[in-house]
Amino acid sequence: MAGHVITVTSGKGGVGKTTFSANVSAALAELGKKTIAIDTDVGLRNLDIIMGLENRIVFDLVDVVEGRCRLPKAFIRDKRLSTLHLLPASQNRDKTAVSPDAMQKICTELRSMFDFIVIDCPAGIERGFENAIAGADEVIIITTPHVSAIRDADRVIGLLEAAEKQQIRLVVNRLQADMVRRGDMLDIPDVMEILAVDLLGIIPEDEYIVVSSNRGELAALQSTPSPAGQAYKNIARRLLGEDVPIPPLGNSRGLFKRLASIFKSH
Amino acid sequence: MNFFSRFFKQSAPSISTEETSKNVAKERLKLALTYDRGGLAYGTIEQLRDEIIAVIAKHLDISEEEIEINFDSSAEYGKLIASIPLRVGGQRPRPSETSVVDATEKPPAPATPPAESSTSGSAQKTSRKRRHR
Repeated sequence: MAGHVITVTSGKGGVGKTTFSANVSAALAELGKKTIAIDTDVGLRNLDIIMGLENRIVFDLVDVVEGRCRLPKAFIRDKRLSTLHLLPASQNRDKTAVSPDAMQKICTELRSMFDFIVIDCPAGIERGFENAIAGADEVIIITTPHVSAIRDADRVIGLLEAAEKQQIRLVVNRLQADMVRRGDMLDIPDVMEILAVDLLGIIPEDEYIVVSSNRGELAALQSTPSPAGQAYKNIARRLLGEDVPIPPLGNSRGLFKRLASIFKSH
Repeated sequence: MNFFSRFFKQSAPSISTEETSKNVAKERLKLALTYDRGGLAYGTIEQLRDEIIAVIAKHLDISEEEIEINFDSSAEYGKLIASIPLRVGGQRPRPSETSVVDATEKPPAPATPPAESSTSGSAQKTSRKRRHR
């Protein structure tokens, strides 16, 4: 098993890295790939709570790095999906507790145990970022169609190129079709023109993400996925090399709404 | 007048010429990123433009409105590219570049006007490569 390490980063905080990491890891696991998601946001951990696994943490990443436990002891295996695992961050330390070298070693060990290793990177471009990209085979940049997020994404892309991370792809999150149609939100061609990086996927704004995080559920695992959930599933399939076309703007959302209103009126 | 448009592949027309807020955002971002990527202090390019116009206007009859000064960060040390159409005998100047100055940050080499490379449509990714401080 030669695992593939994917780091999910953005620069800007709050654009959806953790939600993406959780959901795409779950979607990969559901497709039968043995997957582990790693939270490298030491001190501000959130991957655990988004995945609904916050009450099962015993050991964490810093325990592993500092030798208090062996790596597998810190894994949390998801009860919903046996192929999905989490390596949580610690909440009472900070990013200096982990080093890029330590992350490289952990990634090497994980490659022999998992098909996919998804590393949730913290916001910023300091030590947490350096830790998270150290062992990456590929990097996914999450951005939203806002000036601040795009500017930060551009900086991160520059840093990744300087670090010789060649495989970089972009995900545009929280796209709002109606705002795009009115000319009040940057569209995908705009973002692509500015950032000039291959597009991996688009995730529409979706209220269900709030609901799912409230419940500790994952949008990508629902039997009737919401628009974002479906987008995460499509992205997982693209990561496996499948050619999944990107639906036209507003289509999946419009269809979901129409279906929902049809069922509601009965 | 947008100095920086040539370094970004143009998107399809549609509503791109309207003053929608997203178009304003796009132009602001292009400007901000040109400065971010080049590590220049804000306003440097505008200042350079005014000074270059003043110097060249002393020797040549130039068309001020059609001057373009651009910072191209795709070259290893960055490149300042000036496109300065000249007026010919009172006729309306065509935008063909008759004078191109290539000033890099390396110690001065013999100045030879290079063929102006157009960035239309081709591998947008290659123009990203830049040096980081």
